[in-house]
Amino acid sequence: MIASFDAIETLLAIGLTIAALACLFDRHLVRASCFFVVFAIAMTLAWWLLGAPWLAAAELLLGVVLTGLCFFYALGIFSPDASPALRRDELHEPWGRAVARLILALGWFVMVGAAIRYVIAEMVYSPTEHPLLLAGIVIIACALGAFALHRHLLRRLLAFNILGSGVFMLLAGLAGTTATAQALIVVGLCIAWLGSMLGALLIRQLVHLEGVEALGCDDEPKEKAT
Amino acid sequence: MIWRFGLVDSTFDPLMTTHLALAATLALPLLLGLLALLFPPKRAWPVALASVPVLASGLVLLAAVEQVQLLRWQWEIVGVTVSLRLNGLSVLLLLMSQWIGFAAALYTPGHMRLTSVGPLGFWLWPLMGALISALSLIWLATDLLTLYIALELMGLAAVGMLLLSGKATALLAGMRYLLLALVGSLAYLLGVALILGHWGQLDLQGLAGVVEPGPVAWIAAALVGGGLALKAALFPLHGWLSPVHGNAWTPVSVLHAALVIKASLFILLQLWSILLPDTFYAPHVIAWLGMLAIVWGGLLAWRTDSLKTLVASSTVAQLGYLMVAFPLLLGPDIAQLPRALAWDGFWLQLIGHAFAKAAMFMAAGNLILATGESTLKGLAGSSRRLPLSLLVFGVASITLMGLPPSAGFTAKWLLLQAMVMSQQWWAVAALLIGTLLSAAYIFRVFRYSFDETAPRHHYQPLAPGMDLIALALAFIAIVLGLLAHFPLALMNGGGV
Repeated sequence: MIASFDAIETLLAIGLTIAALACLFDRHLVRASCFFVVFAIAMTLAWWLLGAPWLAAAELLLGVVLTGLCFFYALGIFSPDASPALRRDELHEPWGRAVARLILALGWFVMVGAAIRYVIAEMVYSPTEHPLLLAGIVIIACALGAFALHRHLLRRLLAFNILGSGVFMLLAGLAGTTATAQALIVVGLCIAWLGSMLGALLIRQLVHLEGVEALGCDDEPKEKAT
Repeated sequence: MIWRFGLVDSTFDPLMTTHLALAATLALPLLLGLLALLFPPKRAWPVALASVPVLASGLVLLAAVEQVQLLRWQWEIVGVTVSLRLNGLSVLLLLMSQWIGFAAALYTPGHMRLTSVGPLGFWLWPLMGALISALSLIWLATDLLTLYIALELMGLAAVGMLLLSGKATALLAGMRYLLLALVGSLAYLLGVALILGHWGQLDLQGLAGVVEPGPVAWIAAALVGGGLALKAALFPLHGWLSPVHGNAWTPVSVLHAALVIKASLFILLQLWSILLPDTFYAPHVIAWLGMLAIVWGGLLAWRTDSLKTLVASSTVAQLGYLMVAFPLLLGPDIAQLPRALAWDGFWLQLIGHAFAKAAMFMAAGNLILATGESTLKGLAGSSRRLPLSLLVFGVASITLMGLPPSAGFTAKWLLLQAMVMSQQWWAVAALLIGTLLSAAYIFRVFRYSFDETAPRHHYQPLAPGMDLIALALAFIAIVLGLLAHFPLALMNGGGV
C-alpha cells in the first residue's frame, strides 16, 4: 500500500516538473498558458494527496480557474481583434547572458538545497522519500532561471506563478500541512492571483497603448541578488 | 534588541477604549477609502472631517502607550495564532503613517482638480485606504503570517496606485515593480517556510526564545533579507525606484517614498534582530552597501536633469544612512550606550526623512504642476512666481542635508556619536560625504530656480492648500529635531 502511494506521489512529482518546464520554456504563449493550467491541476492533486482538501479547493478555484483566466485574458483570447504576434515569443538573448542566468538559477538550487539539508536532516539518507519536495526545489530553480532569462512580460508573469507554486510545495514539504502552513499558502495563492490579475490588466492596457512590441522590451533588468 | 521591539510579555491588558481604537486604526482607513470611491470628495474639508476618527484613534493609542508602555493582543482563528503588540516605537510609526497619510489625502482633491484624472482616478481613494490600513498592521504585527498578509496588501495597493496615471512608461515601470515585488515576497515566504519547518512557529516572541545561530537561521535571514531589501530599494536593488516615481501622481509618490519603503526596512530590522543577533558579517555587508548607496544615490541625484529623479535618488542615499547604522544595532561587541544612541538616531532619521521626503515630493509636484516642466532647467525663474513652493523645498532639504535644528541633524548627531564611541570611522566618513553630496544636489535645484534671466512663461495657479500642507510636513520634520526628547522618551519607555 505504502509502495503504491509513493509511486503515485513520484509520478505526480515528475508530471509537475514536466508541466512546469513546458510552461516555462514553450514559445507559443497560448500553449504555455494551457500548460500552466495543467500544472495547476497537478498541484491540486498534490494538495489532495498531501491531505489538505481545503488547500486543493483553493488551488482549484484560485490557481486553475481565476489565474488561468487571467493569462488567457492577457493573451487576448476573449477579444476578437487581438494580434497573433502576441501569441509567440522568440528569444534574442546573447549566449553570455543566458549562461549567467543559468548560473544564477543553479546558485539558488544549491542554496535552497543546502538549507533543506539542515532542516530535514534525514533526507540525506533517503532523498527519494520526498519526491514532491524534490520537485519543488527543481521547479523553483527552473522558474527563477526562466524569470531572469525571459524579457516578455507575460512569460515573466507565468514564471512568477510557477515559482510561487514551487515555494508553496516546499513550504508544505518542510512544515507539513499544519493549519499555519495552509494559511500561509492560501494567502500566497490569493496574492499570486491578485498579482496575476493586475499584471494581465496591465499587459492589455500596454498592448492597447503601445502595441505588442512594448511587452518584449522590459530592458534594464534588475535581478535579485541575495 | 528584542525588548526594544516590544517582543516581551506585557503587564497590563488593554482597556475597552484601546480595543476600539485599535479596531478603528486598522479598519477605518480602508472603509473610508471605499466610501470615497462611492462619493468622491471634491474638496479638502470632507476629507479632513472623515479623517478625524482615524487620527483620534491614533492619539488614544498614544495615550494608552504612555500609561502602560506595552500592550499585546492575541487571537486564535481556526488554529492560526494572530498576535499584535503596541509599544513606543510602533505607536510613533503608526502616528507617522497616519499623519502623512492624512496630509496626502488632504492634498489629493486639489491635485485631482488640477490634473486630468481618467475614469480610474477615483480608485486612488480605496487604494490609499488599504495602504494606510496595511501599514498600521505592519507596525503592530508580531507574527510572520500577519506580517506577510500586511506586506502583500501594502505592496499590491502601492503598485495599483502607481499605475493610475495610465501612461505607457508608468505602466512599464509599474509592471517591473509588480514582478520584482512579487518575487521579493516569494523570497520572504521561502525564508518563512524554512523558519516554520525548523522551529515550528511563526510568533516573533516565541521565535526569539528558540532561534539559535546556524545555517538555517543564516539562510532564512538571507532569503527574508533579500526579499525585503528588494522591496525597500536598498542599494544594489534600487533600480526600480526612480522610473516608478517618474510618472506617478504626487500624493502616490509621497506615500510611497515616505512610508512604503520604510515598512520593509522596519520588518527587515525586526526579523534580523531575531534571526541574526550579534553576527558580524550580515550587518557589515549592509553597512558597506549603505556607504555605496550614500555616494551612488548622491551622485545620481547630483547628475540628473529631472526633478523627480533627483528626489527619488536622494531617497536611495538617505536609506544609506540607515543601512550604515546596521552594525551598531545588530553587530557584536557594541556597548550599551552606543547601541542605544544608534537606536534613537536610526528611528529619528527614519521618521524625519519620512516627513521631509513627503514635503519634498509635494513641493516638487507643485513646481512641476505649476511650471508644466519636469526638468531642473524648466524651473528657471520660478523663484519669483512660486516662492512658497521653493520655500517648502528649502525647509524640507534642511532636514535632508542634516542642518540644525532639524530631525535630520539630531539623528545624524546621535548616529555620529554612536559611531565615534564604537570607533567606526568609515561610517563617520560616509555620513560626512553624504551630507556634502546632498548639499550639492539640493543647491543645484536652487541655482536653476533663482535664474532671473529666464523668459516668463505661463504658470498654472495652484489650489490654495497645496503648498501649505507641504509646508506643515516640512515644519514637522524640523520640530521633530527641536523636540526630539518626546519621541525618544516614548521609544525608550519600554525597557531598562
